[in-house]
Amino acid sequence: MSDSPTTSVVAKPQPQISPGAEPFWEHAKREELFLPFCEACQKPFYYPRRWCPSCFSQNLSWRKMTGKGRIYSFSVIHQSPHPSYQQDVPYVLAIIELNEGPRLMANVLDCDVSAVHIEMAVEVTFQARGEMKIPQFRPCN
Amino acid sequence: MGNAVAIAAVSEMKPARYPELGGYDMYVEVVRQFLQEWPVKPSDIQGLLACPSGMAGGGNSDIFVHEQLYEEMGIHPLFADTMNAGGSTYSLMIQRASLAIQQGLVDSVLCVGAGKFPKVGAGGAETMAKMVSHEIYEFPYGTFIPAMYAQVAQRHMHEFGTTAEQFAEVAVSSRLWALQNPQAAMYGKEALTVEKVRNSRPIASPFNLYDCSIPLEGGAAILVTNEQIAKRFSPQPAYVLGMGEYHNHRNIHQAPDLLDIGCGKAAKQAYARAGLQPSDMDFAQIYDAFTVNPLVFMEELGLCPRGKGGETFQSGRTRPGGDLPVNTYGGLLSFGHTGDASGMSMIVEGARQIMGIAGERQLSKANLGLVHSYGGMMSEHATLLLGRQS
Repeated sequence: MSDSPTTSVVAKPQPQISPGAEPFWEHAKREELFLPFCEACQKPFYYPRRWCPSCFSQNLSWRKMTGKGRIYSFSVIHQSPHPSYQQDVPYVLAIIELNEGPRLMANVLDCDVSAVHIEMAVEVTFQARGEMKIPQFRPCN
Repeated sequence: MGNAVAIAAVSEMKPARYPELGGYDMYVEVVRQFLQEWPVKPSDIQGLLACPSGMAGGGNSDIFVHEQLYEEMGIHPLFADTMNAGGSTYSLMIQRASLAIQQGLVDSVLCVGAGKFPKVGAGGAETMAKMVSHEIYEFPYGTFIPAMYAQVAQRHMHEFGTTAEQFAEVAVSSRLWALQNPQAAMYGKEALTVEKVRNSRPIASPFNLYDCSIPLEGGAAILVTNEQIAKRFSPQPAYVLGMGEYHNHRNIHQAPDLLDIGCGKAAKQAYARAGLQPSDMDFAQIYDAFTVNPLVFMEELGLCPRGKGGETFQSGRTRPGGDLPVNTYGGLLSFGHTGDASGMSMIVEGARQIMGIAGERQLSKANLGLVHSYGGMMSEHATLLLGRQS
């Protein structure tokens, strides 16, 4: 009924930066995946928090990840509840296991959704969300 | 388990849409129906547990429901709270109530749940996706509840060769039970077939529409008491023989192992505390937001071997007449998913089977049964073992 031909594009959600997670987002803006690293356990973890979830140590640093990993599990979404994702169906919601161990939730972009499978090799890529960038993944060799 | 505790009385609204009733009104209706069905007096209720109303309605939850409810009922409980653990809320209520009764704090606790369910097509699915996703590290990726559950299904398919057709068998089995339950939303409807499930609209692989539970509204009340009071209300109460709980994660991507998600850890405690084995169970009522849950959880619960959940459902053993009946009321898949109150339905059915009041679908052998429910994205788990002997 509207006489305006414009179709409104709803922006995808932009994450909030929680206290202590600033380096994660600063590096992401430069398209680098940095994770918190526990100096006591000598292990990285995800998502950023103020203590190590394995030992409670607060002696944490930031380490650059290779950005390479594999699909731990996934689903191809055919019907999205999000106005901002409507134009993307079918899209992939996956849990990615980094080669360094931690798992992240992300979309698998630039792929044939019918070919996506568990154990598929993927690498990090970044997607703009307002002023920020969020880690995403795409197939790689 | 020391002083015997039992479910003395149960009542559940028929799952439907109740547009004329608001979140709190649903509680009043649940209690009204309960008091109509059972000769309970105010002096019979010493404790009251409620879940926050309106949770699934978009987070406008009322965490003071128990106060309004006990005042409206005209009772002054010695033990009361509004508590929430998603779908596992009610199993945990039974557990908390049982502990309080065993300790002698009170002799009886009424557990009440009522639920609304937003229409998934009217922004409701987005609201709910936000409620169960990490706001920063999950929600921005276009999360969707069926796709989060599908992570477990895909992993099971990968590790054990389970097929989408085997998941569909869960919906087929549940529908057959619902056709015997006049209270089920799908009572009087057609039986399902694997083909019908696989030909229904794709939602999030491997799930199609009929792999998903039916969003409705409803609620239930369960009276937990000591043995003496229980026998006043029911010639055969449902004794609470074992219980266990396990809180594994909040956000699905943080689950250390999608195929050891906390269900088995809760059940192990319940079996050990009751001195019972999985093979002792005459039936299982397993929370089923999606077809993946009963199939995978049968394995975690020890009711079938690892990797054999698909074959178990395919074999027909879980259907009416089978030797391993599962979700004998139709499950959330065909009875209906009553939003905030969904975790009530499988306990009510477990109790009814033990009490011998399950009508047409009453099992010929129902001496011992297992009820498993979970909350969130399979985040927290609660197992109850019910039986006819204390």
